[in-house]
Amino acid sequence: MATPLLEARHVSLAVELAGGKHLEILHDISLSLGEHQVMTILGPSGCGKSTLLRLMIGLQKPSAGEVLYRGTPVTTLTPSTALVFQNFALFPWLTVQENIAMGQSNSPLTEAERLQRLQHAVTVVGLKGFEEAYPKELSGGMKQRVGLARALVVAPEILCMDEPFSALDVLTAETLRNEIADLYTSKESPVNSILMITHSIEEAVFLGTHVVVMGAHPGTVRAVLENPLPFPRDEHQPEFLALSAKLHALVTQTVLPDEPPTAVPAPMLAPQAIPNVSPVRTIGLLEVLENEGDQDLFNLTHQVDTEFNQLLLVVKAAELLGWVNTPGQRVQMTPAGREFLAADIPKRKALLNAQLRKVYIFDWVLGILARAPGQEIDEESLLSQLALIFPHERPARLLHTVIGWARSAELFSYNSRRKVLHAGH
Amino acid sequence: MTQLSPETSPLRRLGVVDLAVLAAVLAGIYAVVTVAREWAGHLQPLAEIHLEARYLPGYLLYSLTRGLLAYGISFVFTLVYGYIMARVTGAERLLLPILDILQSIPVLGFLPGLVLGLVHLFPQRNFGLELASVLMIFTGQVWNMTFSFHRSLKAVPPDLAIVARLTHLTRWQRFLHLDLSYAATGLVWNSMMSMAGGWFFLTVSEAFVLGKHDFRLPGLGSYMSVAIERGDGLAQVLGVFTMAVMIVLLDQLVWRPLLTWSHKFSDEENPVAPGWWLGSWFWRSRLLHASFARVRQWFRRPAPRTPVRETRVERAFPQGLLRLGRWLLLGGLVVAIGYAVIQFTRLVLQLNRDDWFLILGGTALTFSRVLAAIVLASLWTIPAGVWIGRHPRWSQRLQPIIQMVASFPAPMVFPVVVGLVLALGGGLGSGSILLLMLGTQWYILFNVIAGSSAIPRELWEVTRLMKLSTTQQWRRLILPAIFPSLLTGWITAMGGAWNASIVAEFMKYQNRTLLTPGLGSLISQATEQGRFNLLAAAVATMAVTVVAFNRLVWKPLGHLAEVRYSLET
Repeated sequence: MATPLLEARHVSLAVELAGGKHLEILHDISLSLGEHQVMTILGPSGCGKSTLLRLMIGLQKPSAGEVLYRGTPVTTLTPSTALVFQNFALFPWLTVQENIAMGQSNSPLTEAERLQRLQHAVTVVGLKGFEEAYPKELSGGMKQRVGLARALVVAPEILCMDEPFSALDVLTAETLRNEIADLYTSKESPVNSILMITHSIEEAVFLGTHVVVMGAHPGTVRAVLENPLPFPRDEHQPEFLALSAKLHALVTQTVLPDEPPTAVPAPMLAPQAIPNVSPVRTIGLLEVLENEGDQDLFNLTHQVDTEFNQLLLVVKAAELLGWVNTPGQRVQMTPAGREFLAADIPKRKALLNAQLRKVYIFDWVLGILARAPGQEIDEESLLSQLALIFPHERPARLLHTVIGWARSAELFSYNSRRKVLHAGH
Repeated sequence: MTQLSPETSPLRRLGVVDLAVLAAVLAGIYAVVTVAREWAGHLQPLAEIHLEARYLPGYLLYSLTRGLLAYGISFVFTLVYGYIMARVTGAERLLLPILDILQSIPVLGFLPGLVLGLVHLFPQRNFGLELASVLMIFTGQVWNMTFSFHRSLKAVPPDLAIVARLTHLTRWQRFLHLDLSYAATGLVWNSMMSMAGGWFFLTVSEAFVLGKHDFRLPGLGSYMSVAIERGDGLAQVLGVFTMAVMIVLLDQLVWRPLLTWSHKFSDEENPVAPGWWLGSWFWRSRLLHASFARVRQWFRRPAPRTPVRETRVERAFPQGLLRLGRWLLLGGLVVAIGYAVIQFTRLVLQLNRDDWFLILGGTALTFSRVLAAIVLASLWTIPAGVWIGRHPRWSQRLQPIIQMVASFPAPMVFPVVVGLVLALGGGLGSGSILLLMLGTQWYILFNVIAGSSAIPRELWEVTRLMKLSTTQQWRRLILPAIFPSLLTGWITAMGGAWNASIVAEFMKYQNRTLLTPGLGSLISQATEQGRFNLLAAAVATMAVTVVAFNRLVWKPLGHLAEVRYSLET
């Protein structure tokens, strides 16, 4: 087999948290991007997708394992790569042309060659006529075109993109997505391979020749699927839909493992936390299920117009509280869920209170509070204990979520001025 | 590439405007020659000051040159110090507190060292004395610029920094295109404030008594101090007028154009800074357009071609040197600080108990005056600022005017105020409170305006719909909402008031010395009598008091402002 263009070998990354604790963000990741491939990386929020991309480019160093470019380990920046950012990262004080020229500021080309490349990049992304404009005069879609042109002007072998369409509206994203596909298939384009981070399954299938599914806490590669569909692709092709469905199932599996959890037995032993979603959103899910009846996860995404990964977290929270069941791809409301929905506000509080006590993390905090002098504990010490028990979660974010739920159930209180948690009201 | 939007400013033919531009260039050349002659001239510690009006343009020129030179030094200092502070690992922990302390030392604290040292270095020429004066003005300008630059460097968006790395910008290109560009808007605003801060102590920086020696350099500051000393009313009025002319000229020729230019670096769209009337006129000059086009072209010339390899060599090469340099810098600083502390202790140990009582008593007195000045200033600036900020049309109109008034050095009108206070039967003890207020109230006003204009209209509407009484409105909405900016205003005003006490508690007035006990007058007196040990102790006490107050009172309040009263949710 030929040497891959870019390869990650057993890459892990751990960061140090306050108090000397370590948080493992990526765990033993091995990936390889060959020539003429589009690799799309898909995963729930917080799984370290963007971090992985930065490791592959050489912006960050892994704490274990290595990244190789054409078989040679990468020590500084990976050669011949360019990055397109989610939020464009344009210099507001430079014109469109100056922003794009930034990409070639120190290339060893002659003046004429540079100008020729610059004009080519401008034309390819459709920015002709906008050269003298400043970024603040452009719409989001045009801004991202500038970001794309800045990347293309260096004629990179590997074009990296970090959720390039997330900050754009649906229609604009659709347009740009098609343009990227054209760019990849066009003979003239210098782009050899593409590495793209996304959270949208459709996007991943639309562009990817290889789709990588990542799991979170810590970030790992769950599966790599090949997508041999020819370009241009059509979202209504049966093969397209089949692959999408398969990916939906895979992503669901990583977030909501079905019993029996044969694939990954380890997480069951770990104490239960709670997904990073708010009570209001979770109750909203129940309302939708009440009105629309039990749903397929796939349909539900379109029904509530939420990003699939986000929806999965909401469903996971509802399942944790015993309000829904998720056999396979279906979401069913349980009698407990129905009872909760029918209740008035004080009753709901009581029900939620009782449910939360059964969830490990809330029970654990209540235990600490009961034993603490004055039934009060300061945030700092709780955070450091959380980091021990949930080594793969960001403690501050987890605590924020926990406090949100506890407040709406009047389980315990939090004083943000004194930064303490205390029991009762 | 010369699209200066002709549709908004129709180009006229060569005409009056261009003649004016040409005349300005010639005048500039003449000015440089005059100043050079003064600087290179024989040492003349006590320049003769003529109070006739025809000498004023010359004095204005001398003072302006000193101010601009000082600003140039401030700018370079800011870039170097701010950059090291933000980008050299570990430097911040040492350099930030040093900056904090330096900021709180009044100009007289720097005076003896600068003057004695520099005059000693250049015993024959005026150069040393001139440089000392420039550096004293510099100490009134530089600190807030450095703080602002440091803050901007720390806030450079990480994505842009990544782009700079991925495009292999050299350190210099990165500095120019990213760091400096990102900091530009804040630097320009702080430069305006700095210039005003430098003028504040102009009278002190140009005319001072140091022990047995009397120093006076030709300039507006000396002119004013002589006029005040002799009680010449007409000359005082002329001096104030000339100073006002200088401030308006600087505002129109330097700051407004710079502000207009710096809009390029922010995200807002606003071609010409409000209040730049001279600009909209001059902008029509053909000569100006042609020369601007030249300058632009020069700036836009692509960077010299450097192959990518070189950047890597550069990155590999300085690692060892960089570490060595860092240690040398650190070591040098530690040695310098250690030496200064030993010298200082030796100096201060010579003081007796009475001196210490004087210092402590003076601190208490000046402290209460400073507090009183802040309270009195707040009483009018808060309501006025809130009102102005609430009415965008008025704040747009008033802002440039207030800015100009604020940059006028208050000590120049002190004699008028003191005359009034004395005529009303008061003394300098209470009068100096008024003087402190005069000098520092603007900081509070500016910040309150900014805070009030940031209150969302919806919140005003809510208070109206809920029919809150005026008191409730102030308690529930206005005071909490402006609290963070009010705090910034108070901190700046208080620092300024402490420093201003050296001119407010002690002045030469109509051939006599007016004085009220306090730390400020103690410092002024010690300088005049050449008692360097007392001066050192008093200046250190002032610095310690200011820094301690910042740490113990302002910092906790600042934290409160950030977590509770920030308008961001």
